[in-house]
Amino acid sequence: MLLDREGVFSWLMMTPPLLFLAALVGYPFLYGILLSLQDRPVAHAGTFVGLKNFMTDLRDPIFWRVTVNTFIYTGAATLLKMVGGLCLAIAMNQNFRMKNLVRALLLLPFIVPTVLSTVAWLWMLDPAFSVVNRLLVAFGWPKPGPSWLGNPTLAMISIIIINTWRGLPFYGITLLAGLQTIPPELYEAATIDGAGGWQRFRFVTLPLLRPIILIVTLFSVIFTFADFQLVYVLTHGGPQNATNLFATYAFDIAMGAGQLGLGASVALAMLPALALLIVALTIYMRRG
Amino acid sequence: MTQSVTFPATSRRGFLKLSAAGTVAALSRPLSAHAAPKTITMLHESSFIKPFDEYVQNVLAPAYEKQTGIKVNYELTSVGSLPTRISTIAETGSGADITMNGLLQVIQFGEKYLEVADIAEEIGKAQGGWYDAGKEAVLVDGKWKAIPFSNIGQLMNWRTDWFAEVGVKKFPDTWEELYEVGKKLKAKDHPFGFELGHGFGDNHGWLYPLLWSYGGAEVAPDGKTVVIDSDETARAVDFARKFFRDTMLDDVLGWTDVSNNKAWMAEQISCTNNAESILWFAKREFPEIGKVTDQAMNPAGPKGRFHLLDSISHSIFSFSPVREEARAFMRWLMDAKQLGGWYEVAESYYQPLLHGYDNAPMWNVEPRNLPYRDALASAHLPGWPAPASRQMAESVAKYVVVDMFAKACAGEATKDVIKNADAQLKAIYRSA
Repeated sequence: MLLDREGVFSWLMMTPPLLFLAALVGYPFLYGILLSLQDRPVAHAGTFVGLKNFMTDLRDPIFWRVTVNTFIYTGAATLLKMVGGLCLAIAMNQNFRMKNLVRALLLLPFIVPTVLSTVAWLWMLDPAFSVVNRLLVAFGWPKPGPSWLGNPTLAMISIIIINTWRGLPFYGITLLAGLQTIPPELYEAATIDGAGGWQRFRFVTLPLLRPIILIVTLFSVIFTFADFQLVYVLTHGGPQNATNLFATYAFDIAMGAGQLGLGASVALAMLPALALLIVALTIYMRRG
Repeated sequence: MTQSVTFPATSRRGFLKLSAAGTVAALSRPLSAHAAPKTITMLHESSFIKPFDEYVQNVLAPAYEKQTGIKVNYELTSVGSLPTRISTIAETGSGADITMNGLLQVIQFGEKYLEVADIAEEIGKAQGGWYDAGKEAVLVDGKWKAIPFSNIGQLMNWRTDWFAEVGVKKFPDTWEELYEVGKKLKAKDHPFGFELGHGFGDNHGWLYPLLWSYGGAEVAPDGKTVVIDSDETARAVDFARKFFRDTMLDDVLGWTDVSNNKAWMAEQISCTNNAESILWFAKREFPEIGKVTDQAMNPAGPKGRFHLLDSISHSIFSFSPVREEARAFMRWLMDAKQLGGWYEVAESYYQPLLHGYDNAPMWNVEPRNLPYRDALASAHLPGWPAPASRQMAESVAKYVVVDMFAKACAGEATKDVIKNADAQLKAIYRSA
């Protein structure tokens, strides 16, 4: 039988997912590249312009602002999520009452649709109604308290905190799964060798958890880098572009201004940085 | 058995004639028979005023179907999603036959719209003539690419009770006078709140008129020469900075369009710039606030009084298979018999761009809305005095003018923010 031949059968099994990927990932990706090389106003035919859109981006001061914003946002949020997620995982790995319930509840920020939870944050950060400012004022902060979304620095801090809040459970639960695969004998052996709590963490937990940390970080960086909903709902890139990211700026140019080509070029500008990061992480992981 | 059915006597030649006629009839039939139950799909952004959409669904569409047999499918899309929906329809060439346009869509999608000069001119002639503002929003390269419907004006909303506390009974006539009142009100813990963030409308709604009223503009009438770097712009920016610092909440720098409505209902602010929706909502949900809410035209600057044109209009897609039916429907819809009733259900949230409605009964329902009518004569698109263009749309989408003012309010030097805006606008208008 033809099907019994390994080569034929494996290709047969591979074809559907490959077609699926080509249609849903490959095509949009290639189309995006094609768009970025055109002067393509919405509802008009495009003309090929080579790298002109990318040159326009390089001269655009908002583009540079957006680049810096995206790196700060991704860097800070990923770091916070990594450290916070690890702490969370270690805490959840202890034995306490209602452990399973608490673990389930932890996933809530991740489960609630981003737009909904962001609207809740919008209220929480409002100077007049917010629990945050009411508390600060109660502790003696001058009324009405800080303008979380009106001050450029605070606005960036706010979106980083909210992204961290939302992404923490993903880190926490994934790392927890990793922690549970570490054989208890290793800890016992380390204890017998005289290792303290910190040393057990440093020389047993961390090395064994490394592949998982890397994978989670990889995913997290990609998601955070391309974040859209949070910023779109909370600040729409304001105040004065202080929170504008690649995705929101690309959307404004493509959909607001109707410049599909220029918008695609902004969206694709993040590709080299991301690709480099992914390659670096993969190499690091293989070596580990 | 013999058949009892009798046929009319037909000669051979007669038969040939008959069958030839039959063939012609049969050939010509499919065209009309094929499209018998016709449907026109009209895309509309869901209205803040519910009865407005219901009037089409429950009154106008059924009436038209009864009269012509053509079904009108009035399809609603959520607020803010209209540009994306039109993009999809224009790019794929299917999805709707008629669409509503907001501020920028006529310029962006003009190439995919039918020219409707004949319908628009006929409507104008029958109903008192169009406002200049109506034409300004729908002419693309001199061609009528949409039929103007209305403006949704952005005006001053003010608290009469708090203004009275500082001795002000009538809304201040100039920006400087408003500034003086604002200083006193902020001292009494009733600050102003004008959006300076990245919303869709409430920011542009007062900042472009402010710029114009000091004599500034982003581009010359030729639509190519960037003229933002001027002493007039500098004076407007300087005014905005002190206006923000001495009359407003700090938070306005991060506001989006919902923020001032929320702050109004929470009694946080004493003056803002918004559409009629604040009064409409307050009257229904917070009647006590509704009673002390009034509206006024924008204050004047040294070079006059201006308003932002935020018009909506209707266009017919050129690829629609029912183009002619859509034209006939628009002609019917914009006829005074239908149009008057449609405007009326929304009180005056949609301000007609036809002079025939200047004294219509809809204006008597809520006299506090009259300034919205009076503002139409001085309403312009953001790129004014240049005609509507793709570059104008790009400048709006990139918040160039909004951020010029916002940065100055946040503390940057006037000449720096203008230099920055100038560079951005030159990059945008280079392609003009």
